[in-house]
Amino acid sequence: MQAGEETLERLGAEITVEIKNADGLHMRPAMLFVDLASQFDCDIVVSNGQTDGDGKSIMAMSMLAATYGTRLKITAEGPEAEKAIAALRELVEVRMFDEPPPEGKR
Amino acid sequence: MKFEDFVCYEATVPELQGTDRDSAIRELVSALVDAGQLPSDSADEIATAVIKRESEASTGMGKGVAVPHVKHSVVADVVAVIGQTAAGIDFSALDEQLVYSVILLISPIDSPDRHLRAMENVFKHLQKEKFRKFLRQCQSPEAFEDLLKEADENPSW
Amino acid sequence: MSRRLKARGNGLGQDSEMEIKKGIAVSPGVSIGKCLIIDSEDYRIPRREIESSQRMVEVQRVRNAFRDAIGDLTELESDQDQTGGGRIKDIFAVHLRFLRDRSLRRRITDLVYSDSVTAEYAVSTVLRQIASHFANVKDTYISERAADIYDIERRLLKQLLGHKREDVGRLREEVVVVARELSPTQTAGFNKAFVKGIASDAGGRTSHAAIVARSLGIPAVVALEDLTEIVHGGDTVIIDGNRGLVIVDPTEETISQYEVYSQEFVALEHKLDGIREKPAVTRDGATVMLLGNIEFPDEAEAVLQKGGDGVGLYRTEFLYLNRPTEPSEEEHYRAYAQTVRVFRERPVVIRTVDLGADKYTQSKRFAPEPNPFLGLRSIRFCLQNLTMFKTQLRAILRASVLGQVKVMFPLITNIQELMQAKMILHDVMEDLDEESIEYNRDIDVGIMVETPSAALTASTLARDADFFSIGTNDLTQYTLAVDRGNELVSTLYSPADPAVLRLVRTVIQDAYKAQIDLSVCGEMASEPEFVMILLGLGVRTLSLSAPMIPEIKQVIRSVTLEDCNVLTRKVLGMNSERQISNYLRNAVRKILPEAF
Repeated sequence: MQAGEETLERLGAEITVEIKNADGLHMRPAMLFVDLASQFDCDIVVSNGQTDGDGKSIMAMSMLAATYGTRLKITAEGPEAEKAIAALRELVEVRMFDEPPPEGKR
Repeated sequence: MKFEDFVCYEATVPELQGTDRDSAIRELVSALVDAGQLPSDSADEIATAVIKRESEASTGMGKGVAVPHVKHSVVADVVAVIGQTAAGIDFSALDEQLVYSVILLISPIDSPDRHLRAMENVFKHLQKEKFRKFLRQCQSPEAFEDLLKEADENPSW
Repeated sequence: MSRRLKARGNGLGQDSEMEIKKGIAVSPGVSIGKCLIIDSEDYRIPRREIESSQRMVEVQRVRNAFRDAIGDLTELESDQDQTGGGRIKDIFAVHLRFLRDRSLRRRITDLVYSDSVTAEYAVSTVLRQIASHFANVKDTYISERAADIYDIERRLLKQLLGHKREDVGRLREEVVVVARELSPTQTAGFNKAFVKGIASDAGGRTSHAAIVARSLGIPAVVALEDLTEIVHGGDTVIIDGNRGLVIVDPTEETISQYEVYSQEFVALEHKLDGIREKPAVTRDGATVMLLGNIEFPDEAEAVLQKGGDGVGLYRTEFLYLNRPTEPSEEEHYRAYAQTVRVFRERPVVIRTVDLGADKYTQSKRFAPEPNPFLGLRSIRFCLQNLTMFKTQLRAILRASVLGQVKVMFPLITNIQELMQAKMILHDVMEDLDEESIEYNRDIDVGIMVETPSAALTASTLARDADFFSIGTNDLTQYTLAVDRGNELVSTLYSPADPAVLRLVRTVIQDAYKAQIDLSVCGEMASEPEFVMILLGLGVRTLSLSAPMIPEIKQVIRSVTLEDCNVLTRKVLGMNSERQISNYLRNAVRKILPEAF
């Protein structure tokens, strides 16, 4: 393996997402997040600005207690980092965990 | 259970014509018949039953509200109608106050739970002075409907 | 407050030192025994520390507990498919994720290693930390999850403790119970054959621990602050319910001194028993009716034995506690029938369920309230749970044919609540009529007057109630804004406060004007120093815990109504609780010196 590729692999990807569903990151969405994150070959860390949590741990994710409007920074490191970030962004901001947004908002 | 699940808004009587308890009850029963909630041939029987029950034990809850009710086989689910009068009616409420708002409920015989859920809802909202006050201020069927819808949406208000 | 005394050849091992702790004496008597420590979750969490060499074993126990809990939940989750509870299935799925979360397990096993503690202790500590983290989040949706965490904790503890769980209902030896505080749930299982005394860190004169101890006639001391931290399961303790002392690891000398003292105390009790047959009449002929407060049908006999004329307060909460489902109408009926039969034609006042600020209404079925004491409790809870309320009323009505039963509604604050409750009672009567089931149509319906609002509007309430019973515990609590269970302020709680006395007087006067019966059923009725003022204010019926009936009767028989009236006039002119309290205590000390 060439050194260059290894370095590329070790690079992480990062993104900030916003919680858009009305009820926030309660148990069910946390579960969806963790299940999805666990499918990717990389480390995932999620931060709400005050605490960091392992994105593959249900305990850590529920503890973030991210309510509607919270911005979370997702950092992934490993071979599938980019894929993971893209998938997680879709879950949080596009699919909104398959839950409704707050009343009166789009 | 919410108001919208059992209150027939179309039947609302914003200003009762009757000046005494029995005629007020009859008026409310007939309002339900007109709104298609009760078959007309049972109106008399139902009204009589409600009046009889009311004579045995007043449903005047105090603070100007009464909740006459009866169980009858002719309904499949709880149905209720609201009537109001500015003049006040004597329901022999033991707090000796006149009644201004009357909520008549007819419940099915075989589903005691539905009746209880409706009563719980009625109790919860009628306990609040704000709700009673707004209720008294309603003049049209639409106003009643709006108020009850708002109460349904804000159960803790 | 504690004093350490060096052990002198007590044969208890070099680590024991006798320690004396002072608390509040709430139930008289002396008990010497081995202690059983009860944790707030009704499990006895075993001694915390373990040897370093035990740590591997404990870690393995943690792993096994997780594995078994996962197994159980997986089964439960697949069962849910059939019953179609999508939401319930979700909850199990979430709990399973939690149990499978390696970082959770690691956190627990790390604690076992770092602190050398038992598996149970580690599980409990870590999960509670997590739960409180949730509970502190402002978003209610998320903070409700704290209840899920407690559920997971219970599930794991169940695996760990299994057969070892100390079920207080299945005791086989005499113990003295020690706890941080005791809830009705926990004391519902107390059997006085085995529970010989109670000591708690928290609480005050009218906390549940105190009430139960007095009902059972066993000594109790509360507000000890940190007793549970210094005592270990199995230690010998002396509970001195007269002086408010708890002695841990007493010396032999101390034990024998207490044995002598205890005998003297028993002799006094016997002397008081002698007045059982005598009537409760003042020296100048005023008759007072003495009734008993009970919680279980078993206590009915004790009331009669001690000379009570019936039951003035039958607390029915125990029927709901310590069990996963609501009691059926039959279970209610059996308890009431059993009690009523003991009293026959003597009155039995059954109070409808007064739950609140308790595990029952705060369990995870309902979103926990931030201020349960002022929330949806008691009669309000019943009026929002009519199915449950009607079940109890049906049973009470059915039992009403067996004797002189009266029904009483607790925590009534306004006329609407009373009307609603009576409306439901009437609905129940209608149902029974339709089913041709007999009941007493003319049953007396009364209320507990225990809030300032009820006291101040007693005249209105009196029009619709057949009788009042003044619940001085809650009335004092709400009037003085003091939590009677909070050891930090429990000394502020006092029925001798002029504000409370004035309210009590108002209620008595309104009852008299409306010509309805009135009784006092709070702890005030069982305290000798309040007898004279209550009589002077016009009370002629007292309801109290059975063991105190002889002593109160003794006071009544030793005073004249004339003296009570004089005393009352003086007290009503006083402005300070301390002054009133001292005055009352001195007055009764002159009459009944041996009670002190």
